[in-house]
Amino acid sequence: MTRDEIVEKLRDLMKRSSQAEIDWDAVTERSEILALGIDSLAMLDLIYDVQQEFALEFEAEELLEVKTVGDLASFFEQRMAGRTS
Amino acid sequence: MPRTIQHLAEYGLAGTLLGIVDVLPLPIAVSAARGLGRLWYRVDARRRRVAVDNVVRAGIAPSAAQAALIARASFEHFAVLLAESLKSRRAFNRPDWRDRIEWGIPPELEAILEEPGRGVLLASGHLGNWETAAQLLSRTKPVVGVTRRMNNPYVERLIRKRKPTGAFTLTPKRSADSGRFLRALKEGKILALLIDQHAPRGRIQVNFFGRPCTSYTAIALLHLVTQAPLCFGYCVRTGLMRFRFKATGPLSHPRTGDKERDVREILESLNRELEEAVRAYPEQYLWAHRRWRGERPAPGPS
Repeated sequence: MTRDEIVEKLRDLMKRSSQAEIDWDAVTERSEILALGIDSLAMLDLIYDVQQEFALEFEAEELLEVKTVGDLASFFEQRMAGRTS
Repeated sequence: MPRTIQHLAEYGLAGTLLGIVDVLPLPIAVSAARGLGRLWYRVDARRRRVAVDNVVRAGIAPSAAQAALIARASFEHFAVLLAESLKSRRAFNRPDWRDRIEWGIPPELEAILEEPGRGVLLASGHLGNWETAAQLLSRTKPVVGVTRRMNNPYVERLIRKRKPTGAFTLTPKRSADSGRFLRALKEGKILALLIDQHAPRGRIQVNFFGRPCTSYTAIALLHLVTQAPLCFGYCVRTGLMRFRFKATGPLSHPRTGDKERDVREILESLNRELEEAVRAYPEQYLWAHRRWRGERPAPGPS
């Protein structure tokens, strides 16, 4: 999966979890996750979805430091690279 | 009455009552609280109707008259809960505090609670004395309770000043810090959530006493994404400042990929545990809160 595909996938998942009215086409890698209406509950929803969609096992607490969509994409890119290497 | 004046009047009343409870000996404070609870039941017609209606809906009492008796006992219990919670800091700082509590925890769960650094999810309800449960548990592992801010900011500040500190802390239900629940688990704390609160945005519908109500999904999602041990527990009153803490678990539910089904199954299982506990101690349940909001009232006395 390319980085662009990861970002696209994440955008879809966040759109599903978020309660906010957002122009999702305007969301970029620099967008802050909190500003996208991802509160504590939506964050848990999102973590469940990404654990399933990317078929990755990771500790949910590892995502505490993730601030932007780009950070999140890097997190999964690294995990997926680790899985295939 | 303008909102601020009403809030200040409530603040003055709350401050006076707290001052009185502080100076009264425990048996007298509890007896006075019981009387105030009975008075509250008589004068607050709206809450009384809600409570009686809830007992009838739950099928706890065979007749409406018995439902009214349970509802009244529940009002008394809630007033006693407040008085004992206010007095508990002193009682539980005494060397004989262990004599005041009986523990009923399965050995597997006890081992988890004693394991340093292991986060635990605790589901509970408005049954018995949940404040005391958190205080007592915090002597085994730090406890983080999730709380809603009160509508009256003055009373909120007053109560917050009185909350026990140390290993029992509170975090608001809504906060910009979206990682606070995960952090509490990562830090090896017990994250305690009350599962019988109405979820205004209709998070998910589950059955409670066989009737649909909306429920927050946080505790189920936290278990699914962290696999932190999940247990159900409650602390009932057995006498004057004496309690029995009972817990079940750890429950385990793996992720299946069907998020809604996973969440519903966990919440229904926890709600069944709560139902069973409430059936055993119906007079210690807070029936006056509107758990089945949106349903039409059941027929019964007013």
